[in-house]
Amino acid sequence: MKTQNKLAAILGVVCVAIVLLFGFAIYYFFNNYSYVDFYKRLETRVSIAAKHNLETDTINAVNLLSLKKQHLEELENEREYIIKFTPAFSAADEANKYNLPKSFLQTLATQGKAQAKNGNAFYVGKLYTEDSGQYLVIVSAENYYVSHHLIFLRNLIAFGILLVVIIVVSFSVYFAKHIFDPINEINNRVKKISTENIHLRLDNENYKSSYEIAELANTFNDLLSRIETAFETQKNFISNASHELRTPLTSIMGEADVSLLKPRQPEEYQQSLQNILVQAERLEQISRSLLMLAQTGYKGTAIVFEKVRIDEILWETRSLVDKINPINKIIIDLSLLPEDPKKLKIKGNKQLLTLAFTNILTNACKYSNNKPVTIFIASSDMHVFVTIKDEGIGIPESDIPYIYEPFFRASNTNLFEGYGIGLPLARNVINLHKGSLTVTSEVNNGTTVQIKLPLMQF
Amino acid sequence: MAERILVPIDFRVASLNTLKLALEKYEGQKVVAVLLFAEYLDISISDLLFYSPTKKVTQYYTTEFKEALEILKNRFADRLVANISVELLHGNNTNAMQNFIEGNQINKVFVPQTYRLKTTRNSFNPLPLLKKVKVDVVPLAWDLPDRLSEREQLLDLFN
Repeated sequence: MKTQNKLAAILGVVCVAIVLLFGFAIYYFFNNYSYVDFYKRLETRVSIAAKHNLETDTINAVNLLSLKKQHLEELENEREYIIKFTPAFSAADEANKYNLPKSFLQTLATQGKAQAKNGNAFYVGKLYTEDSGQYLVIVSAENYYVSHHLIFLRNLIAFGILLVVIIVVSFSVYFAKHIFDPINEINNRVKKISTENIHLRLDNENYKSSYEIAELANTFNDLLSRIETAFETQKNFISNASHELRTPLTSIMGEADVSLLKPRQPEEYQQSLQNILVQAERLEQISRSLLMLAQTGYKGTAIVFEKVRIDEILWETRSLVDKINPINKIIIDLSLLPEDPKKLKIKGNKQLLTLAFTNILTNACKYSNNKPVTIFIASSDMHVFVTIKDEGIGIPESDIPYIYEPFFRASNTNLFEGYGIGLPLARNVINLHKGSLTVTSEVNNGTTVQIKLPLMQF
Repeated sequence: MAERILVPIDFRVASLNTLKLALEKYEGQKVVAVLLFAEYLDISISDLLFYSPTKKVTQYYTTEFKEALEILKNRFADRLVANISVELLHGNNTNAMQNFIEGNQINKVFVPQTYRLKTTRNSFNPLPLLKKVKVDVVPLAWDLPDRLSEREQLLDLFN
């Protein structure tokens, strides 16, 4: 059963049950009350009847009779019975004679007072003792008004219940159907996201009205970001690996080739072996970092976020880039560096951030042919800003929207070696840290990468 | 006693560059920075009744401006004595400016040499008034050759 149907059913059944209970309770208590009320009215009539029938000679009786005629409304089939009560009283005989219920007369005879109902007729009787003897005074009448009122009430309640049931059922069906609309929408949207277009995200703006739904959309987006990073790291692992591993391998091969061209002195062999060793060490380091990338990216191990200092990471990244590309001109500009080191601490993963900054910095050096690259660090009360500015070839304006797509390379990059992996990877890492990365660029004038990362709150 | 300096702004990040250059001069000293925004007072009676400078200033803040101000505050935390406050000047005449300077006990005013403060329909440029009152006015040039990269620095932090 679908949740929305279940919700509609529960809502409908509960509401209908409550309304039914309410209706029946009203009818039941009103019905009871109307009997009690009618018996009381009949009792009054019994005492009036006794007065004007048994005390005929008093002035009271005459007055009472006129009062009764003037002010008391005649009830439906109202009858008065005055039966003399003698020791030889037989309930059965009298019942036949006056067409009264036998059990009623018996109760009246024994207890001196009785009430009864036979069909629509109500009976109330009382035993009176006068000078001339004992009398049973009985009044019977039909409860016309109450029975009609009750029927009207019953119809009213039945109709009301029917109306409420219709409204409740239609409303709960409508409600159940539409409360799940945003969820269905999210569902459809997520269904559209496949491995081909994993960069798509849910549009948070649509769900602002509902906090839970917005949370759900956010959670989905976070999940997608993580999946995307992992997925792309995996997808690009081979090309990344070959890209990274080729440079030292070429050096080793070149060194060996040159050494083997002709017989050489032992010192020269030593020198070239030394060079080969350096390159091999670099190779080892690269493969280790690639392995780390693979592990953090898609092996399923949780990414550990710890307290890190952004300036430390940048200095380390710079020395790393120095090793890969010794002729770079990276300047770290500290003119906006905050006085308080707390303003530089963020919650992040050191390896991932280093990877991201290495990618951006190597790109900046590569596409500017090692012209100066400046890094600015600044921090407000909420964010750390890192701006990396180069004087390179820039990115054509028409290409800007696509630069975050893996394997996309701008149209003016044909002269440079690359795979179009670095920037998307860096952006994913920054996204994982709940930061933002924006690129502004002007062809032949340089590119500026602005990174905004949330500060750790103390 | 800390020196009190005044810098006119227009609530754009670029105008904070003057503040940055000014604060750089106070290495190892204490300073109180006051920002000046000049605008005409509302003529609507209800606006005057519920006049609140704080509310007005907050309303002009953009996220970028706020962050840029925080960046400067964090950068120069060693020399700034109090928070950087933004004061409003409503009168476009010399007396009002003189009162403002005296009231805020300003010792020195730093103004941009080339940058033109952006004015809207309600605001006016306080620079001509500052030149007329009795206060030390220091023009700061942004476009010195060695400052070329710094000029865009704050701007570069934001789009």
